[in-house]
Amino acid sequence: MVSRAKIKELMNESACSHNKDKKKGEGCDMPKPGMAAGGCAFDGAQISLFPYADAVHLVHGPQTCLGASWETRETLSSYAGRNHTVMGFTTGITTNDVIFGGDKRLKDSIDYIVAKYAPEAIFVYSTCVTAMVGDDIDMTCKLGSQAHNIPIVPVHAPGFVGGKNLGSRLAGEAVLEHLIGTKEPEFTTPFDINLIGDYNVTGDMWEYLPIFEKIGIRVLSSLSGDGRVGDIRTAHRAKLNVIVCAKSLITLCRKMQENYNIPWVSVSFYGKRDTSFAIMEIVNALGDEALIQKAKEVIAEEEAKLEAKLLPYKKLFAGKKAVLNTGGNKAWSIASGLQDLGIEVVATSVRKSTAEDKEKAREYLGAEGILMMAPASEQSKIIDEKNADILLAGGRSLYTAIKKKISFIDVNQEKKVSYGGYNGLLNLAEDLKYAFANPVFANVSKKAPWEEE
Amino acid sequence: MENIPKIELSKHEHKPLQVNPIKLSQPMGAALAFMGIKNCMPLMHGSQGCASYAKVFYTRHFNEPIPLYNTSVGDITAILDGGDFSILMAIENITKKNTSLKPEIIGLCTTGLTETKGDDVRNVATHIEIPYCYVNTPDYEGGMESGWALTAKALIKQHTKETIELQANKLLLLPHVSIQPIEVEKIKEFCESFGFESYALPDLSTSLDGYLSQNQGKLGTGAIGIEEIRELGTCATVVSIGHSMQIAAKALLEKNPNILHLHFDHLMGQQNNDNFVSVLMKIRQIQPKSFIKRWRGRLQDAMLDSHFLIGSSHFVITGEPDMCVGMCELLQSVGGTIDAVIATTYSTVLERISAQNVFVGDLEDAQIYFENTDLVISNYHAERLLHMQERDTGLILRGFPNYEELGNQLKNDQLYEGSTYFLFEVANKLREVKYHGKHN
Repeated sequence: MVSRAKIKELMNESACSHNKDKKKGEGCDMPKPGMAAGGCAFDGAQISLFPYADAVHLVHGPQTCLGASWETRETLSSYAGRNHTVMGFTTGITTNDVIFGGDKRLKDSIDYIVAKYAPEAIFVYSTCVTAMVGDDIDMTCKLGSQAHNIPIVPVHAPGFVGGKNLGSRLAGEAVLEHLIGTKEPEFTTPFDINLIGDYNVTGDMWEYLPIFEKIGIRVLSSLSGDGRVGDIRTAHRAKLNVIVCAKSLITLCRKMQENYNIPWVSVSFYGKRDTSFAIMEIVNALGDEALIQKAKEVIAEEEAKLEAKLLPYKKLFAGKKAVLNTGGNKAWSIASGLQDLGIEVVATSVRKSTAEDKEKAREYLGAEGILMMAPASEQSKIIDEKNADILLAGGRSLYTAIKKKISFIDVNQEKKVSYGGYNGLLNLAEDLKYAFANPVFANVSKKAPWEEE
Repeated sequence: MENIPKIELSKHEHKPLQVNPIKLSQPMGAALAFMGIKNCMPLMHGSQGCASYAKVFYTRHFNEPIPLYNTSVGDITAILDGGDFSILMAIENITKKNTSLKPEIIGLCTTGLTETKGDDVRNVATHIEIPYCYVNTPDYEGGMESGWALTAKALIKQHTKETIELQANKLLLLPHVSIQPIEVEKIKEFCESFGFESYALPDLSTSLDGYLSQNQGKLGTGAIGIEEIRELGTCATVVSIGHSMQIAAKALLEKNPNILHLHFDHLMGQQNNDNFVSVLMKIRQIQPKSFIKRWRGRLQDAMLDSHFLIGSSHFVITGEPDMCVGMCELLQSVGGTIDAVIATTYSTVLERISAQNVFVGDLEDAQIYFENTDLVISNYHAERLLHMQERDTGLILRGFPNYEELGNQLKNDQLYEGSTYFLFEVANKLREVKYHGKHN
């Protein structure tokens, strides 16, 4: 069961930067009726754990929860067995289960899955309805686990407890409680790390993992991009936790520091500077002189290679100005990437950013840069004033770009290629090249014959 | 195919879970229906995730910004609130935050969460000035098709005025959920060519039809508004298309018993369209316009042109019942063999499909039939499954969701015209996989 005490603890995470300035007990905001946008806690929990391809993810709830959400995320996996992340499993409860309880259905579903799909583990997600009617998911999972001799992990993040971020924290709690520390690794190295919070969307991780390998950093386990349940069970033996662009899993890292004495660093792999900086953060934390030296060499080599490839793009983009309107860490991470390509970022949105993200955005954009608090109303004016050439924003802003006759990239759309690591910058550069060259935005801004000039 | 265990058509499930589900939920159908109402604020009463999932789902399917709000029920309101508080707070918060938002009706649908706790959502109307429509759509009952139909019924039941008067040339179409925006427009225009003043409820023809305009995704932009809904009782004729929509037609007849109710399970293929045309001719006492006659001839030509390929082929269809029944009958009218129909939810209309296998299930069930068939008509999720299999089976994407293709809202399978396009699309796909596929 999820308790109020646990939620309170997670919402008041002491290690979280935007809780520092708040009074005791204030913590993160709970959703206000009508004002909450974005996914629920269940959504966040599912996002955090779903990339485990060797596990089956069973959603114990009515139809909406999984029916509308499966096979929507490009979290790639190299798992050689049956990839369960592209499949959807739900108990799809009906009126009967609401009245009489869904425990029997859940048990039968677990038996069915084990018999037919033989996964390494099963994650069972509670949802609003099954949490509300009080199904004893913990017990069903425990009995199932004993009967089938695989981990069956209950994840208690019903939608009504809060937003995506909280759900992600609750998923971290489930992993900590049921998986981490339940198995020993075959061997360890002094440079073993856990990657926390990279879900390998469009293969983001694969852009930087080869660099780790060159340097000699070993990824012991991942939560959860291209991850394996067997590996995360050994995570307590790592020397360092590396959080990638995900504040939500800070609680997990803090607790692992307390329980297993594993320190953590928080990094991002967007753009050249961030990638190099991230690598140095990791090797410095691991604290081995030879490793640090090796990392410096590899970085120098990779950056030189990248610079040569970027040269033609930089020529193309010289003097171009961009306005960026997106949320969270993308407000500065994409800005950083654009700057690496020689594009001036004149404004970015910090409407939904944490204090830390705002600070970072200011640092990247400099004193001249505009941090937009109300981007929807501000961006038009800024495009005019600064003579911007491109708007990078969500689909809703497309009309602004058309009206202003400038280029547009939808940065919130599910992307098909990675913008991560050094090479991701080349993918971003390609997208920008085509966006700048495309006459479509100017063409559709033309008046119809029946409209007055 | 002898070794495949036979699954019977039944209201009861044949296994405890769904693997690779095709069923979509009632509130999702209801939300879509409200988007087909002019200046409607679709409001989902549940935790924030319900609306968020539906919003992302439709955004990707239609490639359009989606107007959908939620009451974000939290743990405290889940226990203490009877519904009024979070709904009223949500309406207040949304309209206060965006003062340019002027909804003319609020369309509220419930979810599994708020039905489980048993919210009484009827009372909200007494606290607000904006017209309000509620529909009970727990997602542990029914599916997308029934959620959509229940919404049409609720709009009529709660807002259409009782009357005994009729306007002879006024006609209301009640299209089922799988009828896409352009198809609504085509059917309306078809009726108008007979001299009808035609309405559709819901009417997506000017909402989610892929039309570039400012201020998208704030409110529903359907072609029918609350004023028109109030006056629907004077329609002399109501045409329900799809079995699921009969409940909405019945609701209208309760407002005015003099209305003539025409029902069609679908408008695909020659037979049903002939019936449709003949009854329109009879009512208006006029000949169809020449374009209609022309399209019938084109359909007949298409049937002959495609009969060889389709007549020698096997099909598996998955989707909402009202969509499946039309496709089956059209394909069978040119000799196609339907191996299996796997429907999202139970509907009595499924009983009339004559095919080897007709049952309610998921893609795990359907996949067994994919190996032995020539063409699958299914949603986006079938694509990966077909990629994985040895046999080169063709796929035509229909139903929700279709994340792969652009322009879903402009696909037309209805009437003589759309049926013609559909047959050609099927035949061309069959030619591709049977004669130019990976094993040729």
